Amino acid sequence: MPSDLFIPTAYTGSKQFEQQDVVTANASGFGAAADDYAERGIDLNEQLVMNKPATFFFRMNSDAMSGSGIEAGDILIVDRSIPLSNHKIIIAVVDGDIVVRRWEQINKDSCTLHADNKKYSTITVQSFNHYQCWGVVTCHIRLLDASLIAFNKK
Amino acid sequence: MFAIVDCNSFYCSCERLFRPALEGQPVVVLSNNDGCIIARSDEAKSLGIDMGIPYFMAKPLIEKYKVATFSSNYNLYGNLSWRVMETLRILIGQQYVEVYSVDEAFIDLRHIPQAQIMALAKKIKTTVEMWTGIKVSVGVAPTKVLSKLANRLAKKNKEATECVLVLNTPNKIMQALERTPVADIWGIGRQYAQKLLANNILTAHQLSKQTLMWAHKHLGGVVGVRLVRELQGNPSIEMQTPLICKQMIATTRMFGKPVNNLQHIKEAVATYTARAAEKLRRQYSVAKAITVFIVQQQPANNYSGRYKHGPSISASTTLTIATSSSGLLIKQALLLAEQLYAEGGSYKKAGVILSHIAPNDSIQCNLFVANNHTKHNKLMQAVDNINFAMRNDIVKFAASGTERNWKMQQNFISPRYTTRWHELCLVH
Repeated sequence: MPSDLFIPTAYTGSKQFEQQDVVTANASGFGAAADDYAERGIDLNEQLVMNKPATFFFRMNSDAMSGSGIEAGDILIVDRSIPLSNHKIIIAVVDGDIVVRRWEQINKDSCTLHADNKKYSTITVQSFNHYQCWGVVTCHIRLLDASLIAFNKK
Repeated sequence: MFAIVDCNSFYCSCERLFRPALEGQPVVVLSNNDGCIIARSDEAKSLGIDMGIPYFMAKPLIEKYKVATFSSNYNLYGNLSWRVMETLRILIGQQYVEVYSVDEAFIDLRHIPQAQIMALAKKIKTTVEMWTGIKVSVGVAPTKVLSKLANRLAKKNKEATECVLVLNTPNKIMQALERTPVADIWGIGRQYAQKLLANNILTAHQLSKQTLMWAHKHLGGVVGVRLVRELQGNPSIEMQTPLICKQMIATTRMFGKPVNNLQHIKEAVATYTARAAEKLRRQYSVAKAITVFIVQQQPANNYSGRYKHGPSISASTTLTIATSSSGLLIKQALLLAEQLYAEGGSYKKAGVILSHIAPNDSIQCNLFVANNHTKHNKLMQAVDNINFAMRNDIVKFAASGTERNWKMQQNFISPRYTTRWHELCLVH
């Protein structure tokens, strides 16, 4: 993935709201003075999604990256538009299989994919014919509280 | 210059994105109800699997070559289509992009200097592929018809063109015209193609040499004139803004298996009516007329390779007051369905069409009927909000049935990777 393809945008991926969505302070009996300070509440998308059309979600299904704190069951946020560089955690396709590993370039034609867990051996890719970077993992999310987990099971 | 960006075997590419092992392997996608082949990867095309043929006819080839087969997953395709179009809008600017179909968009490049066109076409291609994972072809030319022609040639010669073809000199345009049979021109249907061949006009180049008078006379008047002008390099088909409000809304589906029970037909008709009414409300409209049709099962003899339907029978009614309320529309639709149904008949398809559509803020009142528009509106708004937030039609009318054993078959459907939390792609 050549890095000169990177096109920075001001797009934050979450701008699907309108001015009217901001509740006026008056509506809650709070008075006109506070109206000047009415603004939209915090939305997780603003922090976690840089480029919406290029952002995908996966679910981790192994302990291969447990050394980096990623556990089975975590949601992975993957951005296909950000450039690849050494030591980034990526979704990689190796011989048709989708894996999560830490990427390191060796030279022009080869790279290694490390698991952050001693149980897994490092994958060395000699030819890019059998390997492809699917996207860069930008974040992982884990639900902690049992009630939140139950809420999301519905 | 105009560009057309066209996704390569779009539905197959969507399926491959989360199943990368299928890269380079033959893939096909089936229509609703797993009826026909509606998308083929290049590999499946070269095995001789034809477009549009019934699944059971393609089955021997599919089994012999282990072709990966999918039911259509419109949730996935719709989401990836949005991503492709959104990427184009971010790259070029919303006002220059015309979404032409689920997998094609025209781009107006008239504001881009000639010298930058090729680089931009390549940038469009690499960016869409990088961001969305969907492979595209880009055809660029002085008119929309010629850009379609360029796109077709780019796709036909993937290796030589790398899926980008810019026709920016008279010479390149002429060569492209000479290599295009008339039947493959955008806007020339089968009947016109036959007519042109009979007149010994075989290529797009020959057609472009005809006079506008001739085109007016033989190719359907002003439409034909525009087409020939476009082939000659004079832009005559402008960028279109999407038709925001449809004048007619239809929901039709094939049944999973032939249905002969009135109750099941009524459930299906109620479900389709609710879906059509939802589309109606999404565009802030009301409808005054409703048509219901059912299609009889055709005895399965003498298959000519094309799908044939039995006779279709329909009935319509006009409402006293235009409405978008699912409840009111379902009531009428069920009366129509009862009229149409004949004891002992076997049916394979049903549909509902809403027409005489008007904006919901200008409803003509009826002097003799009480108007409880607001009451229904509030109810429908609540139902729509719940269904949109929870997905999967959590709230529905009881008339739609609960078992739904007429529902269409989707035996090979892939997970909705991009629209459902519970169906995310697992990685290890």
